[in-house]
Amino acid sequence: MPARKGYRNRIELLQGTLDMLVLQSLQWGPQHGYAISNAIRANSRELLQVETGSLYPALHRMEKQGWVKSEWKLTAANQRAKFYRLTPAGKKQLLSERDHWTRMVDAIAGVLNPAETPLESES
Amino acid sequence: MAFWRKRDRELDEEISSHLRMAAADLGEDAARREFGNIALVKEVTREMWGFASLGALMQDLRYAFRVLGKSPGYTLIAVLSLALGIGANTAIFSLIDSIMLKSLPVHNPGELVSLGDPSAVGWVHGGDIGNVSIFSYPFYQRFRQQNGVFTGVYATGVSERINLEESAEHPLARLVSDNYFSVLGVAPLLGRTFAPGEQSAAVISYAYWDRHFQRAPDVIGRKHRINGASFTIVGVTPRDFFGDIVGYQSDMWFPIEAQPLANYGRNYLNDPKTQWLLLMGRLKPGISLAQAAAVSNAVGIRILQEEGASSSPDDLKALAAKRIAVQPAAAGFSRIRRSFSKPLLMLMALVALILLICCTNVANLQLARAAGRTREIGLRLAIGASRPRLLRQLMTESLALAVLGGAAGLLVAALVGHLLLRLVARDNRLPIDFHLEWTTLLFTGALSIAASLFFGLAPALNATRTSVASNLRESKSGRSGGAQRLERGLVVFQIVLSWVLLFGSGLFIRTLQNLEKSDVGYRRDRLIVAELNPAASGYRKEKLIQLGARLLDKLGNAPGVTKVTISENGLFSGTDSMSGVMVQGFVPRSDDDKISHADRVGPGYFETIGTPILAGRGIEARDMGDAPRVAVLNQSMARFYFPNSNPLGRRISTDDGKTWIDVVGVVRDAKQSGVRDAAGRRFYSQFAFSQDDPIGGIKLEIRVPGSTARAQELIRQEIRSVDPNLQIESISSAQALIDEELLQERLIAKLSSSFSLLALILTSIGLYGVMSYITQRRTVEVGIRMALGASQSSVVGIVLKETLLVTTAGLAIGVVVAAFLGRLVSGSLYGVAAFDPLTAVLTSVCILAAGLLASWLPARRASRIDPMVALRAD
Repeated sequence: MPARKGYRNRIELLQGTLDMLVLQSLQWGPQHGYAISNAIRANSRELLQVETGSLYPALHRMEKQGWVKSEWKLTAANQRAKFYRLTPAGKKQLLSERDHWTRMVDAIAGVLNPAETPLESES
Repeated sequence: MAFWRKRDRELDEEISSHLRMAAADLGEDAARREFGNIALVKEVTREMWGFASLGALMQDLRYAFRVLGKSPGYTLIAVLSLALGIGANTAIFSLIDSIMLKSLPVHNPGELVSLGDPSAVGWVHGGDIGNVSIFSYPFYQRFRQQNGVFTGVYATGVSERINLEESAEHPLARLVSDNYFSVLGVAPLLGRTFAPGEQSAAVISYAYWDRHFQRAPDVIGRKHRINGASFTIVGVTPRDFFGDIVGYQSDMWFPIEAQPLANYGRNYLNDPKTQWLLLMGRLKPGISLAQAAAVSNAVGIRILQEEGASSSPDDLKALAAKRIAVQPAAAGFSRIRRSFSKPLLMLMALVALILLICCTNVANLQLARAAGRTREIGLRLAIGASRPRLLRQLMTESLALAVLGGAAGLLVAALVGHLLLRLVARDNRLPIDFHLEWTTLLFTGALSIAASLFFGLAPALNATRTSVASNLRESKSGRSGGAQRLERGLVVFQIVLSWVLLFGSGLFIRTLQNLEKSDVGYRRDRLIVAELNPAASGYRKEKLIQLGARLLDKLGNAPGVTKVTISENGLFSGTDSMSGVMVQGFVPRSDDDKISHADRVGPGYFETIGTPILAGRGIEARDMGDAPRVAVLNQSMARFYFPNSNPLGRRISTDDGKTWIDVVGVVRDAKQSGVRDAAGRRFYSQFAFSQDDPIGGIKLEIRVPGSTARAQELIRQEIRSVDPNLQIESISSAQALIDEELLQERLIAKLSSSFSLLALILTSIGLYGVMSYITQRRTVEVGIRMALGASQSSVVGIVLKETLLVTTAGLAIGVVVAAFLGRLVSGSLYGVAAFDPLTAVLTSVCILAAGLLASWLPARRASRIDPMVALRAD
């Protein structure tokens, strides 16, 4: 039994954010896996690198959950590729994840910088 | 299937398109590097498709087979164990299916109903009107016309032994009414079936056509000489049609009207007192079984009453209360169904226990193996494999084992099934056509899956329960306490099962011994019974009397014969007579008090068979000829009718008091059928050649001075010398006839003992495996002990103590279980208690010995451990 690399661990670690990032990349139109991973890297100024071992399982899982739909189309370079498209359920999911994320960021920021958000009772 | 393949293909394509695009941007190598392990990405992605995904299942199976292939020894043992267990179960199940469950290969068998006793195959009943098990031809003819509930009713009766002119073979034949094939809905493969009123025609089976005529297409129209008469073959039945009797594969059928031709010298056709036909009807559409039963009884009983109009008012009253059984008969008639149902179900229980032992062995093997895989499993858990996912993988491995075991089991089943049938076959002919069918395959499949759950689940749960960290940290000697407890528990379970099986087979062996030794009331050694059929050879009245005298004279003076006598019914030769009796001075309390077994015997009968005469005298030469009838009672009859008085000189009547017979003697009870059963009331009167020819022919009882085997040939020659054409049905020793009666008992004893031996071996293997592993795990401990000065024998003692502990626990539970189960088989036992202490002790000794033997090797291995090596081992 060969030892496995820890792909699955990272999927679990990134799951919430990865789904959101992928759904976000699909907001501007159907895209194939390679383009999604490129878009995330480019938009994060090369900071976020999505592993294929996380991306494809995530895409297939989200398809099963009904957030994206796939179809085979030709790329600009005239190559066959599987394009994923956001479904209405996926859009809803994206909104709720973004909302969740924003509140999470605010909350964490509040914890990290308490002075900037003084508590009311002490005034 | 196609869907999953398509999904797999699309994933391949999706990934290769990714790689192509990345290669265009970064170059081939960098693209691959960045992508990572392609196979792994595929695998993880596939997992997202969910549990129901067949692709993942196939992948798991592939993986499972790879893992199994890596440890061929383990796989071989596990598969062999399972093959034995599953195979034995499949064999017994398919026998149960063919004998008890399967429908006849005819049109819409669900519409068929039998009238009377469907197991009365082969009966010919001569005597009174009023039998509702089996019917006469006149009865059938009237019933066929008068009932309104069947689209058709056919009759089928036994034929006497078939002799061919050109071959020594005796084909099996039935006499059937002309509508037999049309009611069953069986169209002939070749030719036609019977026309109404036809006589010298025969329809033959496919097997007989194949065997005898090499499937010649021009067989139709050929003449076949059967029992001296010429029959024209008019048809051949389809290949799968064996007749309507399970356990009796007919070779040919004759029209009932041909009965006097096929059975020369006897005519059953016009006599309502000769009952010999089974009846089968096909329900009219819309008629329920209950309606059919009501109408059949109303019509049938009325016909019987009309036929028996001359009987006494009492008999007619009794007749009105009788009922003809009307039952669904999709599975046809069968004699063996009734006699073998119980043994088969018992065997089924037996082999189910064997399978449990096999599964337990495999479970133990898996536990042991899981110990070696704790690190692999820990690693897989560590990299994020979920427990359900791992469980699934492990269960798939079990399933793969079970599938292999089941497939091999089918081979075992075919072998075992044929072997079992050979044991009950007569004249080298199997009673049923044995082959595995889809019902059996279904059964085997279900059994394999159930088995895999049984032997796989506990070890898999156990293997995946431990936490990640502890598994990785633990060394190879560190087996979880749960696994040890489970292992020991499984071995105890096996010992309990083996104990119960061994104990049960012990009881059956003792039963057989008791039956074989049991007192039948006469001296069975050096006694020969010959069955002759003078009627078939044309003997009548005067000629018959002469023949009898010549036979007795010739054989009585033959050099190898001590004594010879003659009787109507033989000893364990399958015929018996009942007679109504009236006893002077005795008031019957019930109808049962008015009947008794009866036999007619020649002079010197009791002296020849070796039954002591207790009072008065036996049948003597002076009683023969025109002398008045006399009666010799057996002890049971004397005690029943004359409890407080001397029966000698009293009188009995067999014709409702018209004539009276003097009682001249009392003899010991002698059994003529059923070794288990009490002999029952019986009286003997003198044999009379001039009487109506008995249905079963005549029997000669011959006492010989030496070996019966040699004497049989001599007797055959002597009979031939009287008349070479006289039909000899059989010549066998009395011992052989009793042995044949005990066939079923012997079968149960043989099978249960061989199966329990198998169980014992399997359990020993299991025990050996477990003790080996326990010992191996304790290598370090043993090393330390030996380094500290423990002797070799004390190390052996440690291992043996463990064995004793496990074995005695199993014994104790086994005793309790057997005490409860004993009651279930007590009806099948003879002369031995359901909880026989001697058998229990012997069983325990056997199991203990096997246990110690199985752990001897591991113990010895442990005692040879080099302390230095042992301490470094980990």
